[in-house]
Amino acid sequence: MAWRGKARSGFVLAAAAALLLVLPGCWDNVDINHRSLPIIMGVSKHDGQYKVFLQIPEPSPHSDKLRIVSATGDTINEIINDISTNMETRVDLLHLKIILFERSFAEEGVNDSVASFMRGRDISPKAIAVICNEPLERFFERLTKYENRSGLMLYHYFGENAGWNPQLARTRIWEMFRSIHSYTNDVVVPVIQSGSSTPIASAGSALIKRGRMVDLISPDDTLLINVFMGRGAQGKIEVMDHVDVLIVGNRIRHTASMSGNAPVLKSRLRLKVSVLETKGDLNRATIEKELDALMTKRFNRLLEKMKRNEADILGLGQLFRTVLPRERLADWRSEYLPRLKGDFQTEVILQNTGNLKLDGHEEGNGTGRKQGGG
Amino acid sequence: MYPSNVIEALDSGHWIAVMTGYLVHLAVIAAYMYGLEAFKGQNLIQICLNSGKLIAAALLLPTAAYLTIAAITTVRAYSEIITLVFLSNTPLWSIMLLLVAIAGYLASLGLEAIFRTGVMLAVLFIPPLLFIVCTSFKNVDWHYLLPLADRESATLSFVAKRPFLESLFAFAGGFLFLGFVQPALAYKRKRVLQASMLLVPMFLLSVYVPLLTFGRQTASRFQFPYIMAIDTIDMRWIMFERINLFFLLSVVTFVTLFLSLLLWKVSRIVSLNKLDGKLSKFRVPAVAVLAGAIFIVCLQIPDWERVSELMWWNTYLRLYIIVVIPAAVLVLGIRRRRKVGLHGMER
Repeated sequence: MAWRGKARSGFVLAAAAALLLVLPGCWDNVDINHRSLPIIMGVSKHDGQYKVFLQIPEPSPHSDKLRIVSATGDTINEIINDISTNMETRVDLLHLKIILFERSFAEEGVNDSVASFMRGRDISPKAIAVICNEPLERFFERLTKYENRSGLMLYHYFGENAGWNPQLARTRIWEMFRSIHSYTNDVVVPVIQSGSSTPIASAGSALIKRGRMVDLISPDDTLLINVFMGRGAQGKIEVMDHVDVLIVGNRIRHTASMSGNAPVLKSRLRLKVSVLETKGDLNRATIEKELDALMTKRFNRLLEKMKRNEADILGLGQLFRTVLPRERLADWRSEYLPRLKGDFQTEVILQNTGNLKLDGHEEGNGTGRKQGGG
Repeated sequence: MYPSNVIEALDSGHWIAVMTGYLVHLAVIAAYMYGLEAFKGQNLIQICLNSGKLIAAALLLPTAAYLTIAAITTVRAYSEIITLVFLSNTPLWSIMLLLVAIAGYLASLGLEAIFRTGVMLAVLFIPPLLFIVCTSFKNVDWHYLLPLADRESATLSFVAKRPFLESLFAFAGGFLFLGFVQPALAYKRKRVLQASMLLVPMFLLSVYVPLLTFGRQTASRFQFPYIMAIDTIDMRWIMFERINLFFLLSVVTFVTLFLSLLLWKVSRIVSLNKLDGKLSKFRVPAVAVLAGAIFIVCLQIPDWERVSELMWWNTYLRLYIIVVIPAAVLVLGIRRRRKVGLHGMER
């Protein structure tokens, strides 16, 4: 019987070896030298025709170059296919980090594109959505001039541990997709253009409502949104008439209720700040009072803008999930948001005054806390 | 797929659906095991055969059919998922062949091999799975948890709907095997129930992670919500960009194991339990023929639409199996207990 055992194990071994033909996934194997891995994709649309730009780094042992390729067509996938056909390598969008929409396209609505990015297998839903405030041709031209070797500049510009700062919005493709279908969530998308002394300049953020850009808000308002979302305002400079402060910590609490037919939102923002720069004589109380007033003013301005556009970029409707039944929440943007009464109060804590004491004034109010009214 | 069914089943209060499914599962296991306990050392097939041909046919035929169809849909669905998520150029047949071949090989080696492999896979893949599950909370918005219930979920009106019934597949496949392992492996009723408790958080997580990340409106649009939710995780310090790949690969290994268990069960039923003794040399060919048949049927399924159709047909069989088999085993078990009790008194 020994020969049978041997024959059997031999058969099993052969079968295992045969499986190797199937196992390694060679059908999907394209050598890395034959791939192009674009990092940035720009999309614009004129007269129903899409135009796609791809920025592809081409590393080589001696010098790293960047190549910008573009093509036009009826659908984005078709264009990418065309580009892939015309290039000597295969375009692989696996590592796409940033998707740049031209402003006119964003104003027209990017719903279908975002849905197709989500549907497709290769584009990561983690890619960052950005709107470009000028024609993409010019933007890419300027960007390439400044671009260092890696082609990652725009990516680093939004990198959490790199160039990002809280005055910039940062929204990913999946968040845009969510906002298109959600009852209560709209998003802000950063708007950029080429700058005069730096390659990229921020132009604020776009209010995106159901995939369409409806308004533009300033970087200061974007900061407020980031504060509101609890997305680290740390290390951010807040400019006022005669004092600059650094936000070192923030916490926000909301209470949502309904009075009659109008939603009421009470928000208490606790802001810990540190003084950076002053002009003239100031004391603690003034700084705190001014900051209160400023934040409240900005918040109310932002809220007005949201009501006017019926776009809930702060996700306020989320807070009303327990208050409003689901069927009515579906009309949140059009029915309830415009009637929202916002009651916003800031509590400022001047944590420290930097390395210097505040000039000329004795510090009377020892605790340094004060309630500000909105 | 389980989360997508549950998310589709109702608007809010999804935990109620999960818990309902789970309680059904628990009741079924409890009844089934109570019935089985009366027949120490016999498995389901022996029990049925001993209770008359009619009962055996009524219980075993649908079970075999159900398990076979379940195997077919599992192979077809997971190979489709694999092509959707990463191997987009690899032909389906090769993935299906791989799944069926490995599962068939395992099944032909018998129950012990399957369990040993299970332990090995658990050691290898549970840690990465746990890690991925933990990280999947990165993008959640807890506001989506509320409201906890609405009228639809509180009145349980969703239980008769298609998505919920389909979601029961997650519970149905596993419990039958308790009836097959009996002579080879002894287990304690309490232990099994305790172990099934561990599943509750898993089911809840699989539904709630996508819900909390995307919200119900968006999550119901995805074919595979959990994989999508994992795809949104962005962590710079992990060297791998797409951890959903790791997740899926780990899951596929467990699916292979599950498949081998299915194949093994069907082969036992089809051969009416006779493969162990002098006929044991037919065990390998029997499994091979079965695996081959499943592979060929899988090749005949052209699209995803058909897969879901097949799953829906299988739902009827599944309901039958969930309700009738445990009930029958329970009744048989109680009757036998009485008999044994009487004999005991006579002595």
